[in-house]
Amino acid sequence: MAMAQTAVEQQAPAGAEAEDRAGSHRTGALLRWGLPVLFGLIILGGWELFVWYRINVDGISHYNHILPAPTTIAVALVEDWHILAPGWLVTLWITAQALFWAVVLGVGLAIAFSLSKWIEFSFFPYAVVLQVTPIVAIAPLIITMLNDLDTALLVCAWIVAFFPILSNTIIGLRSVDHGLLDLYQMYGASRWRVMLDLRLPSALPYFLAALKISAGLSLIGAVVGEFVAYGQSPGLAARIVEASYLLKVPRMFAALVLISVTGILLFLLFSFVSNLALRSWHESAVRRER
Amino acid sequence: MSVRVDHSPQIVPERAAAVAAPAVHIRDATLVYDGTTLFDGLSLSLAAGTWTCILGPSGVGKSSLLRMIAGLQSGGTVTDGEGRPVAGRIAWMAQQDLLLPWATAIENVLIGAKLRGERPDRQRALALLDRVGLAARADARPAQLSGGERQRVALARTLMEGRPIVLMDEPFSALDAVTRASLQDLAAELLRGRTVLLITHDPLEALRLGDTVLVMVGRPARFEPPIPPAGTAPRRLDDPALLRLQATLLNLLAGRGPVPVARAAGDVS
Repeated sequence: MAMAQTAVEQQAPAGAEAEDRAGSHRTGALLRWGLPVLFGLIILGGWELFVWYRINVDGISHYNHILPAPTTIAVALVEDWHILAPGWLVTLWITAQALFWAVVLGVGLAIAFSLSKWIEFSFFPYAVVLQVTPIVAIAPLIITMLNDLDTALLVCAWIVAFFPILSNTIIGLRSVDHGLLDLYQMYGASRWRVMLDLRLPSALPYFLAALKISAGLSLIGAVVGEFVAYGQSPGLAARIVEASYLLKVPRMFAALVLISVTGILLFLLFSFVSNLALRSWHESAVRRER
Repeated sequence: MSVRVDHSPQIVPERAAAVAAPAVHIRDATLVYDGTTLFDGLSLSLAAGTWTCILGPSGVGKSSLLRMIAGLQSGGTVTDGEGRPVAGRIAWMAQQDLLLPWATAIENVLIGAKLRGERPDRQRALALLDRVGLAARADARPAQLSGGERQRVALARTLMEGRPIVLMDEPFSALDAVTRASLQDLAAELLRGRTVLLITHDPLEALRLGDTVLVMVGRPARFEPPIPPAGTAPRRLDDPALLRLQATLLNLLAGRGPVPVARAAGDVS
């Protein structure tokens, strides 16, 4: 990041101040998208060159099985698409379901906690236990205990995705302006009105921030679960394990690329949703006029 | 900001409410906070349909007293002139505009109806936004409005409720001087006839708007003898009598006691 900023400063023309706001905005967008793409291309090019050097100059002909070149990975992605795509869909489906239940139970419990101290005191410590226990360690237990593999994988992914939503939504529900609470009380609002009209909208920015985190975590949870249950799962992570046994290293990397891209797309999707929901009123999304 | 006469038929119900504005009596108000007695057995009466302004240094307990009257804090008896409770007849304006950031100006004005599950009267809300000079910004969200405009929306919301008692906790203190003066004028005009209690730390504001001005000092707090400024609110800012009183009040607040009138006049001219 620091590197990128220095580059910008050096490239900026001397008369930058004279540039109109729309122009600088366009330049900003160009830099924001252009710089990471440029950086990525440089890394990929270097990587490609390095592998080519190892194979053709150092004469290690099997080097593509140690570190495949980006082009080799791309070829594997296309050629093995019929193997990878079904697994990808399975993993994506587990991720989506886990995220759905993380939202339903996370928000539901957060509301219950904020309505009753008794419920909060009773359950919150166990939510923390769920969060701090390493998923790799309990995944085998879950898979052994639950006969149905799909359910077991869903539970693994859910455990990881659940806590950020619960914890952030609780903070959000509590972060209501006290003056507004007073106002609502004076206007005779019922507890439910305060919840629906005041607490839930106030919690929305916090919830959306958690959603971005949990979408990625839910994917990670699904992948971890599949790794542990590799022999039985039809998911993408199982294809990675399988490919490693078959020494199909380019296919492993292709599957990894697919998982990463999925994670990035999920993040972008929820960033977009968040911006859409908040841009007209919340400080985090309202564009500043200066 | 012109006051449009053609909307007056829609304002009738709240005029009626304003006419019936009751007196408010606070007795035996006692507040101990963190082992410190802020006030003990304090009493205060607000005459029906008038503005009472309370001045006092920070931390004297002005806001707590206001919250007590509003029923947001326990510690005293609050009744109207006939000894009945005042709950449900009180509107509230605070230093922060307390607008819902996700709702538009008109939705904010209509919030009371929504909370009670009533049918929103958009026509009347629009008429009130027009009276505070914001008819064109009805669909703007608070983030798009200036501080003064947001307080205007809050004023429209207060008017929308049509409640006869209005409690105001430094509602104009965060505004610039020009905006503050224009909102004082607007509030004085639109809330005329209601029983209003205004808390402020600005002596000039209290003197412009108050029918009675009280200074709250000491710990436990007590009220200095009431100061009734001459004439009707909103008073002119260049009124010499007003400026003399301001000097007196500043001295009272600083704990130096009233100064001779001649010297005070000399100080400010």
